[in-house]
Amino acid sequence: MSETQVVTVRGLRKSYGTRVVVDDLDLDVPVGQIVGLIGANGAGKTTTVECIQGLRKPDSGRLSVLGFDPATQAAQLRPLVGSQLQQSALPDRLRVGEALELFGTSRARDGGELLEQFGLTARRRSVFSSLSGGERQRLFLVLALLNRPRLVILDELTQGLDPAARRNVWAAVRQLNDEGTTVLLVTHEMDEAEALCGRVVVMRAGHVLDAGAPAELVERHSGAVVIRFSRPDPPAALLDEISRLDGVQAVTRTGARVTVRGDRRIVAYVGAALVRWEPVPADLSVWLPSLEDALLGLLGQSDGEQAGTETRELIGGRR
Amino acid sequence: MSTAAGRLIRTELRLMTRDPLVLTFVFAFPVVTMLIIGGAFGTAPDPAFGNVNPAHWYVASYLTVVIAATGLVMLPVHLASYRERGVLRRFAAAGFPRWSFAIAQLVVGLLTTAVACALLLAVAAPVYGVPAVHDAWRVAVALPLGAVAFVSLGVLLGSLLPSARSAQAVGLLLFFPSFLLGAGGPPPHVMGSVVRQVAGPLPLTLLTNAVRAPWLGLGPATGSLIGVVVLAVAATAVAARRAAL
Repeated sequence: MSETQVVTVRGLRKSYGTRVVVDDLDLDVPVGQIVGLIGANGAGKTTTVECIQGLRKPDSGRLSVLGFDPATQAAQLRPLVGSQLQQSALPDRLRVGEALELFGTSRARDGGELLEQFGLTARRRSVFSSLSGGERQRLFLVLALLNRPRLVILDELTQGLDPAARRNVWAAVRQLNDEGTTVLLVTHEMDEAEALCGRVVVMRAGHVLDAGAPAELVERHSGAVVIRFSRPDPPAALLDEISRLDGVQAVTRTGARVTVRGDRRIVAYVGAALVRWEPVPADLSVWLPSLEDALLGLLGQSDGEQAGTETRELIGGRR
Repeated sequence: MSTAAGRLIRTELRLMTRDPLVLTFVFAFPVVTMLIIGGAFGTAPDPAFGNVNPAHWYVASYLTVVIAATGLVMLPVHLASYRERGVLRRFAAAGFPRWSFAIAQLVVGLLTTAVACALLLAVAAPVYGVPAVHDAWRVAVALPLGAVAFVSLGVLLGSLLPSARSAQAVGLLLFFPSFLLGAGGPPPHVMGSVVRQVAGPLPLTLLTNAVRAPWLGLGPATGSLIGVVVLAVAATAVAARRAAL
């Protein structure tokens, strides 16, 4: 392990049959940080963290986690990692207190304190099958933290939690990080990533699309504006004028439907052009993306047109 | 028991006492069927039963029914359910040593078998009597080895079958023909030749022969005992590999 990295992944590749799930992935998790791994379903996030934990063997690539190779040194590594897995369970009839006994090693913290911290003290004698979804998630978090791990991997941490419980869990993760534990967080929730993570890694189709601090990603990926309007048989001169406006990146036309992309200035310029070329379209719409929209756009999910099957004609545009 | 395997054994035993399905199939089914079939043929020595008391024939046979019920039904369903629901992944991710779960299942399976066998004999004693053991050491070798073989088969099935439902279906499909042909059904002498040939090499038939024949003084059944030994070694080796976390 390098002194500054808890997790180092280089060129990770993992396939299931002929389907490549993770392809040439690089990832660094620095000591003491909370790093978020975000992406759509099927992006390869869970497979990546399963390889990091030694639960799956990579097809190729070099991984170092706390100085161990997860594929060959899982026995030494796993006791140092606390995991909250996306899809897992405990035996139905196992009581909460018994789960602490079962999973607690000689390094275990006081399980009672953790139950208290996560609001499960009253459920100590309850069997697992009687717990609500939120209580199960909190119990998994308790078990992940029980043995004083040096790295905690949290996969879909707050799935099924109500807003108040989510805030409690976030506070607990921050406290854990303040105490020096490194956290790798897998999430769909942009607000969760923004609230907790010092660094976010965006994945799609097994690749890293981009990485950086949440603020950097906002800067890099917000600002793209989409204007749409319909105009039967739009004059070529109008489309040509719009495509040459400052800030316009692209103009596409699908039948009568015109879409203009660019920076925020195009709202004014395109509006002015449409006024000049009366009549002003009745269905004019302007889309200003938020951070979440920008990241979803990056993931190729937010804009249906990107995945659409319509025949589109690229008119032009400039940066 | 503070080792990982110890904690798993203690937890599994605790959970088993809370699982009525386990109690029913492994503990009650062999006892009830033994009582029924043991009473069906009377107690007079019968040539079809090697000239021994038919009730004693079935008492000596039904210990292996307990073993088969544990190995072919209880354990596969239990393990497949754990794997299907992600319990095994949680154990693996939590750093439980690689072999701890397989060891725990072996110990729990053997303890379950021992208790269920004791219960069966306790029920049989006042009703039909427990037959004297003619060749104790062979019985003492065959029974635990057979239990190891079937527990390992159960662990293996549980690690191969994709879900608890499929494990139950396959387990019952394996158990009932084995039960009828190899332990709890008619004696081999009254079976047709084809059925006898099918029944002969079945694991439960081998185990029942290896236990019943020396117990009732019907012969050493060395071939069957060797078959049980081979099965125990092979099944344990493969199961341990498959059930590693």
